[in-house]
Amino acid sequence: MVMGLLTLGRTAAGVVLALALAGPALATEITIAIGSEPTTLDPQARDDGGERAVNDNIFETLMARTADGTLVPGLAAAEPKQIDDTTWEFTLREGITFHNGEPFDSAAVVHSVNRIIDPAFNSEQSSFFASITGAEAVDPLTVRILTQGPDPILPSRMYWMKMVPPAYSQTEEFASAPVGTGPYVFDSWQRGSALTLKANPGYWGTPPSIDAVNYRFVGEAGTRLAGLLSGQYDLITNLQPEFVDQVPKAAHVAGLELPVVILSAISGPTQDVRVRQALNYAVDKEVLAERLYEGYAQVSRGQLLAPTYFGYNPDVEGYPYDPDKARALLEEAGAVGAEIELIGTAGRWLNDRDLVEVIASFWQEVGLQPSVRIFEFNEYLNRLFDRQIRADAIFVVSSNELLDADRPFSAYYHMDGVGASNHDAEMAALIEQARTETDVAAREALYHRIVEHSFEQAYFLWLLNIEDIYGMSERLEWTPRVDAKLLVSEMSVSE
Amino acid sequence: MGRFMLLRLRHGLVVVLGVTVVVFVVTRMIGDPVSLMLPMEATPEQRAAFEHQLGFDRPIPVQFASFMADLVTLDFGNSLWQRRPAMDIVYETLPLTLYLVGVALGLAVLVAVPLGVIAALRPGSIVDRLTVFLSLLGLSIPQFWLGLLLIMLFAVSLGWFDHAGNFRADSIVLPAVTLALPALTRLVMVVRSQMIDELNAQYVKTSRAKGMPFLRIVGLHAMRNAAVPVLTLIAWEFIRALAGYTVVVEKVFAWPGLGLAAIQAIERQDLILLQAIVFTVAVMVVAINLAVDVAYKAIDPRIKLD
Repeated sequence: MVMGLLTLGRTAAGVVLALALAGPALATEITIAIGSEPTTLDPQARDDGGERAVNDNIFETLMARTADGTLVPGLAAAEPKQIDDTTWEFTLREGITFHNGEPFDSAAVVHSVNRIIDPAFNSEQSSFFASITGAEAVDPLTVRILTQGPDPILPSRMYWMKMVPPAYSQTEEFASAPVGTGPYVFDSWQRGSALTLKANPGYWGTPPSIDAVNYRFVGEAGTRLAGLLSGQYDLITNLQPEFVDQVPKAAHVAGLELPVVILSAISGPTQDVRVRQALNYAVDKEVLAERLYEGYAQVSRGQLLAPTYFGYNPDVEGYPYDPDKARALLEEAGAVGAEIELIGTAGRWLNDRDLVEVIASFWQEVGLQPSVRIFEFNEYLNRLFDRQIRADAIFVVSSNELLDADRPFSAYYHMDGVGASNHDAEMAALIEQARTETDVAAREALYHRIVEHSFEQAYFLWLLNIEDIYGMSERLEWTPRVDAKLLVSEMSVSE
Repeated sequence: MGRFMLLRLRHGLVVVLGVTVVVFVVTRMIGDPVSLMLPMEATPEQRAAFEHQLGFDRPIPVQFASFMADLVTLDFGNSLWQRRPAMDIVYETLPLTLYLVGVALGLAVLVAVPLGVIAALRPGSIVDRLTVFLSLLGLSIPQFWLGLLLIMLFAVSLGWFDHAGNFRADSIVLPAVTLALPALTRLVMVVRSQMIDELNAQYVKTSRAKGMPFLRIVGLHAMRNAAVPVLTLIAWEFIRALAGYTVVVEKVFAWPGLGLAAIQAIERQDLILLQAIVFTVAVMVVAINLAVDVAYKAIDPRIKLD
């Protein structure tokens, strides 16, 4: 009997071994740890990084971007054409269906557009699409999107709007078991623990090489690191710069976050342009990049734009570190020893508090008296958004998902923007003009002018462009993207 | 007994209501979930429209009245963060937290009671001094740090246990140990000092003099007498874990329980979910206290419940 069992066991082991050796190559499966769980899998409802990390693989958009940020057609067959000032026409790729069999056609686009701009739907993303008034189908593969005024950024906006299936997206299940057109199909979601996607066998584009992807939600950076080191994860996000040496592989790329200090041109000692320039000269941005971010940050070139964004002005150099010049300017302005209030918050962005404190110490070096005030995030927002009283200096991190100058400039440069500290009507007019200028070259020239002008006026202390750092397992092959999307279809596994 | 229970239930109701009202007022006063939910660059008009949709632009008394009306049916409304009923999230996460706290406290009691008793048998011996030393050490280590150390040693270097989440049967080990340690060390100290007191009591000497076996004295008399304060501490540890420590441990180990939901609700200013969680914890605290009172009576018939 005992012998029989042993034999049986041996036979079973042999069968398993034979199967493993003889069977087809094992399905490749990877595990990605992200910082927060999706709140929903409805791709149009929330403004949520966890949701995007997953849904960017399930859903697609009319326009897409290459890894280095160039806008290219996605579900659209070609670049859109502008029919008139307020109408953009898209031609769609033929023969694409949603994972549940619904056709992707102009009706689907019309539905997707109308769904997200519907005030009753109350999408947190609606600020991305405020200019859109509706959409209309011309024929099954041609669709027009209508805007309030001329909207040159519309193609970029369509890179942000995910296309949803007209029938299924009206059901309640859509938010927990989504269906898109993308290279990955939703498989399962255990709230709180795990989410799995599988490769879409009928994908219209290049078939993805990874068969399945598991997501884990780990808020604690140290725990994410541990999971990567113990071999359970293949990719972790937001790796802290100090841990780059410890992981099997790391990759970094210029990210979407630009920290900056808004200087008040309205009140206080910073009213004087010489003081604002002095505040720029006083800070050694190289030191900030090296010491606070271990070199994983690039020095900003005097604008709230990274080099890959539309409107970036390559001719502006940024203020160099020149404390003597800063002192001379302060002397000239009669602002030596002036008190400057610097407002920041703690724990919202990587190194936010440290950054503010180091800036203050640089200001102190050149003979100013900065007073740093760190507020809890809500209280901080109250001050950032206060349109009556503008603090002398407010630290903020601008995140630019559309990779276009309009959004950050409207918010922080335009005198009526939510976080602007100037009364520059001339610059505001230029920003408005650029917002509706449909000639690409003319629009770019406008932004170059705005960048140059605001640089001379030193409305901000421009700091850095922080890089995103990813930790990867030895076997994962991937180049991170400037738009921070985690597209599994661009990843592969070497065994 | 019946009258006592009724009285305590009434007290409990007052406590739960009080906590709920305080949380309502405080979160409404300091919180502004809307600015956190929308992108930073959203305009004031977009913020106002969003606020209106959520009903946060109504006067506080009106919000409070509708909140209390819904409370009767345990309907806290939809979580702002997940946009589904807040109580659904509580029902999903609470069992995982109870599982974690249960395993941790079970572990703490199983280790602490024998250790405390052994230490008390020979105060001042090597075993006793070692126990005291280790207890102090255990008390002094911050839990998040201990958690990360355990992960590094047992999950990364040795690979014995799962490091985080709730996917494998062994996922519970490291978070439970982390949660158990401070409770364990406090328990050891109390068991030890209670037992030393009891073993020095007159009745122990009498029992020994009349020839009762020592182990019987320890097991039957001394331990039973020491049980009341120990039970109080266990209940207190349970409450402490439930209402606080699990937040840290669940965050470090990505354990999807009530504590992790609580910290995420706070980060996102999800007033609705936060209220549901605080309410639930308050109810549990009241229930545990009641259960302990009843248990006292069972252990020590001299205690009168009225």
